[in-house]
Amino acid sequence: MIQRKVWIIALFCALVLPIVLPYLTPYESNPSLIEPARAQAAWGCLWVVTIAWLFFQAARFGDDTARSGLGAYFLSSGVSGLSQMMQIWLACLSFLLPLVLVALAVCFIGAMPSDSAQAQMWVATNLQYAALFLLVVTPLMMVAVSVGSRFGSTVGYLIPLCMSIYGMYGVGYLAMMTDAQSNLLLDWLYVVSPHYHLADLTPRLVFKHGSMLGSEFLQLVIYFAGIKIVLAMLSTLTFQPKAAT
Amino acid sequence: MNLPSTKPRIHLARGLSIGYGESLAGIESDGGDIVLEGGTHYLLARNGRGKTTLLKTLAGVLKPLGGGYECEGRCQYLSEDLTFDRELPAKAIFKALLKKSRYADAIKLANTIELDVEKPYAKLSTGNKRKVALLVAEFSVCDQGLDVLLLDEPFTGLDAFAREAFQERWNQRQDGVLRLVSCHPDLDSMEVNSSVLISDGKITHVAGDGSTQCWGELKTQLN
Repeated sequence: MIQRKVWIIALFCALVLPIVLPYLTPYESNPSLIEPARAQAAWGCLWVVTIAWLFFQAARFGDDTARSGLGAYFLSSGVSGLSQMMQIWLACLSFLLPLVLVALAVCFIGAMPSDSAQAQMWVATNLQYAALFLLVVTPLMMVAVSVGSRFGSTVGYLIPLCMSIYGMYGVGYLAMMTDAQSNLLLDWLYVVSPHYHLADLTPRLVFKHGSMLGSEFLQLVIYFAGIKIVLAMLSTLTFQPKAAT
Repeated sequence: MNLPSTKPRIHLARGLSIGYGESLAGIESDGGDIVLEGGTHYLLARNGRGKTTLLKTLAGVLKPLGGGYECEGRCQYLSEDLTFDRELPAKAIFKALLKKSRYADAIKLANTIELDVEKPYAKLSTGNKRKVALLVAEFSVCDQGLDVLLLDEPFTGLDAFAREAFQERWNQRQDGVLRLVSCHPDLDSMEVNSSVLISDGKITHVAGDGSTQCWGELKTQLN
């Protein structure tokens, strides 16, 4: 009955692991840390589920559409390639948005600070985090759909996977390299790299740094929206609704 | 594909050339244009002669190498390898792709041709999978008869009973829908009123003037 129902595992990771994992730490020494740990686990699990599962689903949907002949069928019926890509992408969002809501629910119900001022800040930080998270992963999901339709699900999965890992962690190593040696090429690479690590507000939640200033948040929104526009354009050019001939 | 004016129509102009990179088939520049109107037309040719390529070109999925064509009507191209989500049963596919008003009719015909609409698509036999695709195409047509159905080998894997059920339906319904059906008839006595033949790289139109020919006669013209 649960055959081919991976969403159950995804939901389990997003809902149950953030509750369970903090208890595997030596929380007895400082019980007040359990709530920030829960928030950290909730967002961490969401990133993992999105990168490990949803990107692959998106790539597979793109691949299936081209390979099954459905893309050609819809194309002949007058549904343009762009429209098909957007519809597949929106279908992927229907998986993603509930998972984001689950992460927010875990943070709001299971980790809300008791102090009202802190609680207000907590809500704002989590909402900012959700917005930045969506701005980062939704264009990558579109990349997965379009590359999957043209090059197959494996390539369609690996490209957004590598981009997200590079943007989250690789850019940090690049920064260390540019600090250590002056190299124009590395400096240029650092500037044009997608700085997805900026969307990770987990440290703010864990260390209770409070929400971002409005202007700072707006700058990040504009930055990620710019990346989103570039990736959306590239995805539109790459998407292929019919199988390669 | 153009929006229909009053009835569906396919016009293959002289000089039309189809293929992938190099020409597979075409209409000679000194040949006549081919015009198909509402009704069922069979596209007949031996393997690898360009049946699928012609249908893809008419559907707008492939660009012609030269010449021009017009496909007026609401077009639907059903490729031979069209498949649906393996987890969904036929009734869910119909619900997703057909209008509410046509759903009940589709289920009724599915029952007549013995298609299990509850079974997941992946568990259906090849013939039953084809039935799902055919039913989707058949019941997606609008009521005004402005549709062009391009069916690529729709009878592959279908038993004689189901095939006859569809052919009978097409003959009975004067719905004005233009169906261009590529197939390999297995009965010499099968009657063909209008057929587009691809032979020796040339696309020609046979009959269509009310006279009927049998597959047994037509196949001698194919090379």
